[in-house]
Amino acid sequence: MGLSGLRAVPGFAFTTARLFGLQSAWSYERMLGIGFAHAMEPLLRPLRGVDGGARYRGALARESLFFNAHPYVTSVAIGAAARAELDGEAPEKIARLRQALCGPLGALGDRLVWAGWLPACSAFGLILVALGAGGWGVAVFLVLYNVVHVALRLWGLRAGWRAGMRVAAALANPVLHRGLEVVGPLAALAVGCAMPLVLVWAAHGAGLHLPWWLTWRHVVAAGAGAAAFALLAARLGTRFTGLTLATLVLGVVAVGGMLWR
Amino acid sequence: MSPGEIAGVTALGVVVGVDLVTVPQAMTSRPLVAAFAGGWILGHPMIGLLAGALMELFALETLPIGAARYPDWGPPAAAAGALLADGVRAGGGEGAWPGLLATVLVAALAAWLGGWSLDLIRRANGAAIGRYAERLERGDPRALVALQAGGFARDVLRAAALTLVMLVPGGLVARALAARWRAPAGLAEDALLAAALGVAAWSAWRLFGRGRTARWLAAGLAVGCAGALLWA
Repeated sequence: MGLSGLRAVPGFAFTTARLFGLQSAWSYERMLGIGFAHAMEPLLRPLRGVDGGARYRGALARESLFFNAHPYVTSVAIGAAARAELDGEAPEKIARLRQALCGPLGALGDRLVWAGWLPACSAFGLILVALGAGGWGVAVFLVLYNVVHVALRLWGLRAGWRAGMRVAAALANPVLHRGLEVVGPLAALAVGCAMPLVLVWAAHGAGLHLPWWLTWRHVVAAGAGAAAFALLAARLGTRFTGLTLATLVLGVVAVGGMLWR
Repeated sequence: MSPGEIAGVTALGVVVGVDLVTVPQAMTSRPLVAAFAGGWILGHPMIGLLAGALMELFALETLPIGAARYPDWGPPAAAAGALLADGVRAGGGEGAWPGLLATVLVAALAAWLGGWSLDLIRRANGAAIGRYAERLERGDPRALVALQAGGFARDVLRAAALTLVMLVPGGLVARALAARWRAPAGLAEDALLAAALGVAAWSAWRLFGRGRTARWLAAGLAVGCAGALLWA
């Protein structure tokens, strides 16, 4: 095929842009499948002139079938499958590759991003806001989060493309493994630190000159209430989410506040 | 709120609403961002930031994992920030905590509604894929573009509707609740802070309360408490 690097493929920029809309047609039946094929399509364009376009259309039909993984690292599978299609690998091998990548890429993204980097950045933004950074805290949250977000999508496409059918090696990247080791403790530290700071900042009226008399009484009351709430949530287990319970509690308080004499 | 402001907040609601799943998942849909921006549109970003920070504590529980149904905080938070900023503009500082409690409560209900609407969109996307099945089997690239565009358009409409639901009927309910509040404002403050921190603490425990991360969570709490004491 003579396609030595990703930049040599004309569709690289289009595929990169389409990675950000992978989930537009998300459905229970195919999950990311449609977005997967849509993002990969520009990379497959060199196949339009082969066999009267039959390989191109066959590849699109295959790649639009069920696929499910974390959206940021799905780019690994897109790069690998596109490379395999261009290299003329057997359709059954490509189908097995896609199927094999679903679990590992889902687990990687969930641990690295949803349960690690996202709460870490969110908590870091909250800490900055509580320390008086105002809107800059929000800006730092967005920039910090998206540096890793965008880097993951771009790295994934390149790593998948370079590795093709041997993509498992790309997932053994030491930077990824180090990231997985570090991100959990980092998120735990940041979330732990953010909670008391936000409590005190909010109880002080968030610099808004809201009434904040007896501030420490409120801090203690809210802190004790939060501990009681968390214990209740733990006791109820998975029957209620924290938000369901909080909505019920706030609803009762709102009604109680209206009936107060 | 003027029609122009309603249009601006709705546009913001669409941007943060489609961000959650459709494009680009840059986390502008987080309540910290959406509520701050909603308040900023109406000229009082700091009240939006306060509401956003509290809702962000609730949203620490929300991990947008695959096929799970999770609340959509973006459009309700954008509208909540705008509603609270509108209240501040009208001189409602004294009733701020009851107003915050009522608005966050309505936003939480709207976030659940948003999660339900995401389920509808997923089913509608599935139905559309069924209609295009034959073209997909033939490998027609235009079918892919049509499905992606259709999914995007549905999500835009969903996000706009959710923002307007929070902004208009939701705003009326929140204002009515706040206006009828008879208890001391401090009770609303205590309840809101306790609920927000309780959800955050429970989420933190579930995510990090076991193994190696538990020690880091405890260390973070210690540092945060020390910082809070020093800062206050």
